[in-house]
Amino acid sequence: MSSTENTFSSPSTDPISRTPLTRTTLPLNATLSKAELSDYYEVQRTVDEIVQGGFKRVALQFPDELLPDSVPIYRLLKSGIDQRKPGVELYVLADTSYGSCCADEVAAQHVDSDVIVHYGHACLSRPYRLPVIYVFGKKPLDVRDCAAKLVSSVLENSEKLGGEGEGRLKGVVLRHDVGYTYKSESIVAEIRDRLSKSPETSDLKLFYSHIPTRLNPSVPTDEHPTSPSPSPASVSGPTESQGSDEGEKVGMEDCAILYVGEESMGLTNLCMMYSSSEIHTYTPSTRTTHLSSTSTNKLLMKRYAAVQKARDADVWGILVGTLGVASYLPLLTHIRNLLRKSHKKSYTISLGKLNPSKLANFAEVEAWVMVACEEGSLVDSKEFLKPIVTPFELEIALREKESWTGRYVLDFESVLSGQTEDDENEKEAESGEEGDDDERPMFSTVTGKYRKVKKFGLDNGADRIEEGDKDGRVVLRNQDNAVGLLGDSAGAEFLQSRTFQGLERREGEDAPSLLEQGRSGIARGYHEV
Amino acid sequence: MDKPTNIRNMSVIAHVDHGKSTLTDSLVSKAGIIAAKNAGDVRFTDTRDDEKERGITIKSTAISMYFEVSKEDLSAVKQKTDGTDFLINLIDSPGHVDFSSEVTAALRVTDGALVVVDTIEGVCVQTETVLRQALTERIKPVLVINKVDRALLELQVEKEELFQNFRRVIENVNVIISTYNDPVLGDVQVYPDIGTVAFGSGLHGWAFTLRQFANRYAKKFGVDKEKMMARLWGDNFFNPKTKKWAKTSEGGGERAFNMFVLDPIYKVFDAVMNFKKDAIGPMLEKLDVKLASEERELEGKALLKVIMRKFLPAGDSLLEMIVISLPSPATAQRYRVETLYEGPMDDESAIGVRDCDPKGPLMLYISKMVPTSDKGRFYAFGRVFSGTVRAGPKIRIQGPNYVPGKKDDLFIKSVQRTVLMMGRYVEPIEDCPCGNIVGLVGIDQFLLKSGTLTTSETAHNMKVMKFSVSPVVRVSVEVKNASDLPKLVEGLKRLSKSDPCVQTSVSETGEHIVAGAGELHLEICLKDLQEDHAGVPLKISDPVVGYRETVKAESSIVALAKSQNKHNRLFVKALPIDEELTKAIESGKVSARDDFKARARILADEFGWDVTDARKIWCFGPETTGPNLLVDVTKGVQYLNEIKDSCIAGFQWATKEGVCAEENMRGVRFNVLDVVLHTDAIHRGGGQIIPTTRRVCYAAALLATPGLQEPVYLVEIQCPENAIGGIYSCLNKRRGQVFSEEQRPGTPMFTVKAYLPVMESFGFNGDLRSATGGQAFPQSVFDHWELMNGSPLDKGSKIEELVRSIRVRKGLKPEIPALDTYYDKL
Repeated sequence: MSSTENTFSSPSTDPISRTPLTRTTLPLNATLSKAELSDYYEVQRTVDEIVQGGFKRVALQFPDELLPDSVPIYRLLKSGIDQRKPGVELYVLADTSYGSCCADEVAAQHVDSDVIVHYGHACLSRPYRLPVIYVFGKKPLDVRDCAAKLVSSVLENSEKLGGEGEGRLKGVVLRHDVGYTYKSESIVAEIRDRLSKSPETSDLKLFYSHIPTRLNPSVPTDEHPTSPSPSPASVSGPTESQGSDEGEKVGMEDCAILYVGEESMGLTNLCMMYSSSEIHTYTPSTRTTHLSSTSTNKLLMKRYAAVQKARDADVWGILVGTLGVASYLPLLTHIRNLLRKSHKKSYTISLGKLNPSKLANFAEVEAWVMVACEEGSLVDSKEFLKPIVTPFELEIALREKESWTGRYVLDFESVLSGQTEDDENEKEAESGEEGDDDERPMFSTVTGKYRKVKKFGLDNGADRIEEGDKDGRVVLRNQDNAVGLLGDSAGAEFLQSRTFQGLERREGEDAPSLLEQGRSGIARGYHEV
Repeated sequence: MDKPTNIRNMSVIAHVDHGKSTLTDSLVSKAGIIAAKNAGDVRFTDTRDDEKERGITIKSTAISMYFEVSKEDLSAVKQKTDGTDFLINLIDSPGHVDFSSEVTAALRVTDGALVVVDTIEGVCVQTETVLRQALTERIKPVLVINKVDRALLELQVEKEELFQNFRRVIENVNVIISTYNDPVLGDVQVYPDIGTVAFGSGLHGWAFTLRQFANRYAKKFGVDKEKMMARLWGDNFFNPKTKKWAKTSEGGGERAFNMFVLDPIYKVFDAVMNFKKDAIGPMLEKLDVKLASEERELEGKALLKVIMRKFLPAGDSLLEMIVISLPSPATAQRYRVETLYEGPMDDESAIGVRDCDPKGPLMLYISKMVPTSDKGRFYAFGRVFSGTVRAGPKIRIQGPNYVPGKKDDLFIKSVQRTVLMMGRYVEPIEDCPCGNIVGLVGIDQFLLKSGTLTTSETAHNMKVMKFSVSPVVRVSVEVKNASDLPKLVEGLKRLSKSDPCVQTSVSETGEHIVAGAGELHLEICLKDLQEDHAGVPLKISDPVVGYRETVKAESSIVALAKSQNKHNRLFVKALPIDEELTKAIESGKVSARDDFKARARILADEFGWDVTDARKIWCFGPETTGPNLLVDVTKGVQYLNEIKDSCIAGFQWATKEGVCAEENMRGVRFNVLDVVLHTDAIHRGGGQIIPTTRRVCYAAALLATPGLQEPVYLVEIQCPENAIGGIYSCLNKRRGQVFSEEQRPGTPMFTVKAYLPVMESFGFNGDLRSATGGQAFPQSVFDHWELMNGSPLDKGSKIEELVRSIRVRKGLKPEIPALDTYYDKL
């Protein structure tokens, strides 16, 4: 996999949705000396890990903006490894098929590698097949300034501080961009020190979890408990993970979140998930702090609008935006089942990087659900013709009753486990409600009108899902003629509604003509014969 | 009920406070539903608590009544009848403009209208609005001049003056009628001398037409009743000395109306109000009025009421007028069918409607939903135009988007029960034949606001109602506790069901929007939502006005946009559409559903379009019906029909969210001048074309001097002369423009008419009240969209500021995107 530019696309066609991911770029280190480079990219640690792990083939995955550094790094690593254990092969991967924050396992499998070294910003989703060693780079940070500004921000802006009873602030949680992992120890120490100095904040607990620099697919690590619980410790991800043990006793809603890093998807996700908490952000480049929670509500409301639109959709497209995140397959199956149970039509499409024109090609799809890593799941739907929602939002959209409490989940596993619970509840509820309401139109909150719900998979779909649903009606309908089958196809139905339905077939009307040599070349310009 | 010739469906319409509900009471009392002595006070048709509190009608209410006509009067009925007993279905409607959608819904199911006009205030803006609506629905009007008692008691006008006043009111009404008259309906102007005008007092419960007096005098003069009626109106003078009729008052003749009609009334008033006890007795005898003993003890107004009610009972005279002058369903449906039915006039449904055939296929139009006592459920309220509706058999429920032959918006269900609507009560009935107004139970889940019920598989829809008001004022609502959200959504559903006009939606920013016709309308809707439909506390934003984006000139250069893969190019120019055509599209005169050849003819003949262009209109937008057009003016482009669907999708998108503030576009025509397409189908798919069409529309709009239109109210204010200064200062502060100021002849009252931007109208009523010491009463009704001065592209202009604020509210970047965001260099 090389980084050759797309043959006929210009830079302006870069996927719109990916801009937030590439915003947190590392500085280009072209001028760094070998020693600095080796330090910045933790070459020694990488070498140690590779040698200790006994890996034979190593894939080095670089995001596009770090590619210039790939060659020197490759050389440093190669020489480092060769000294200790010759025979290890290194490959450079570039131009990832999905977001560059995820480990690209498919590309790694092309070279049959047994470990991926991932450079740059990462979403730290748990890998599916291969172990991943993360090298975040070392972003510069003034620890003293950072700690001082954050603590004073808490002191000045926090409304909950010093309050009594329920709403009182009980702790602070520290999160940061992965690029500052190397300084995390000192930040924690500094903040803890400053908190204890001020009488108002001295009783606040500070929670912090270490960011893993290596993730294995098989063993669930401590940082990633499989079942979520509503404590701050429960959440996985780059900047949110296990705190100290006391964390279990303090609910997330009683904590303020301190975030070190630039504006990024990671921060946005953080805001979405903890919309009820105050989030104090320190931006290293400008050395300023601000309170982020205000803008979050708007974001959540936008998502709410997307969910409302999605409620009106009968034909769904499942976008596969990752092949590397653990449990994406179970999730995919789950989503399909979910949609089938609600008698929605679903198409599964793997598109790589998203852009509006790719999606607009599937005009019959009325809403999309995005299966990707946490940082790639949230797609602001404005530029897209149809809403794109996350699996969690899909689940809300498919529910009979409205439920939007502001709780937000991006993590696959929490969605999965949450869903199974809900499924059981729903099954109970459904058994009572089924009946004559089958055909009842749905009230669309978006348009304020009634909408007739199209039901797909009623005929042949039913026996596949529901084992208990084999009443006589299903069988009868199965023996129906082709007309009935056509009605079940969303694509065919859509074609019917188009004015242009393909070229007219003039069978037997035209004289047969000779076969000629066609044109050749690429779409930008064909060579005429 | 089974005799369509003996049914009269009528609605009571008027300006606010002209006494519709009060007058309705007198009719209801006649039917024995409420005691006669309470008539005028109960307002039987005001069923809601807030209606009673505020003293205004908010929802239209239907009542069915039986009435028997005397044999001799029956001969006056100029249409086919069957027996002397009549069923009258009456709908009382609200007078406030904000609720005129209720009037529209009422008019659809009735054939006649009782137009009530206040003697003193005369014809007002809402009188005109509802009358116009009635006439476009082909509904025959009769007139009641109400509150005559006020003229007598408060203003103490002379007989001749009162006559002139009556004549003026009638003339004004006739002017409106002739302006909007539909030739099919014939001459429907109202004339007292043929008995289509009544005079009376709803509050006191008396009213008369000339027929009553003609009855009295016909024998005396020994002339025909009809002739007598003619003599009792207009310039007919009677000289009591010579006993001769004349056409002028020369020679001491007195106007017959004054002498024979007004004189007895004046005498009664004079005698009772001036306590001339002795005069009362003989007078009563003369008038053939008998009082009960306890009634004799009464004095003043109470006595007056009793006497007048016995002398000229309102119920009798009005119902008589209704039965005689208004058409029966059998008569009316013959000429109304064209305006009612969408399909061809020769299919079985159309014929059933035309003949009002109880054995024909069922055709029933649901005009509105009436809440039941069972929370969350509704009676579907409508009129049976053909066939008979009964509980049990499966019928087809066709929603507004139903297209014959397709399955969209179609449900096949059965009616659970049929009921008669009797104000606040319902009366279950077994079945209901055509010509009647009926309530249905069990189909409310399938229709939102209105729809067609039928048994014919080939039936088209009944035409949808066009409302004279549009929901231009919006607020966003939010629940206070997130857990109440499901209740809010359910509440919004119920709200949009229960009101014909209100619209609910979810904005791009995730807010629930409720849109209503005006401040009062919204206030009532939100109150209902909060207290009734949702029943949860709500946060309600300040009202916001919807704008429209338009263009003011043709694009200065051809806009070009390339598809993402650079292989396709679209060349488009935007230009404004005439205001008349825009309005014609909005009113449905020119619509996307028309046959394209017929439409092209209209466009060419009436709006000066080129016929070839007019035939190549690809679509209307937004929502495929709006007042923007996408026109194909290309010459010989290959594969063009292949991208039409994609272009339409992009165009719909662009017109729904305009380039400046993402408001709807209005009055913009996009000409597709040229298209360059890639030769491979895969490279010119929807994915490439849809976003490109949107971008090219935006670029074309930006190049065509974009403008913004704001909704403007027509405000009519009644006030005494000394309050005019206050009105002017109040209007000036709010960018209002007065365009007419008239003194009501014979009164010190002035009528000021002005245009007032809806944006500035919030709190206007309150301001006006304080500026004029409570003497001025405004009525605002949405009138038109007005182009705002300036261009949103001028930095620092007011309109730019406005656009910025809208964009910020919507969570967009504050700046309007620059042209090069959408315009591509070749």
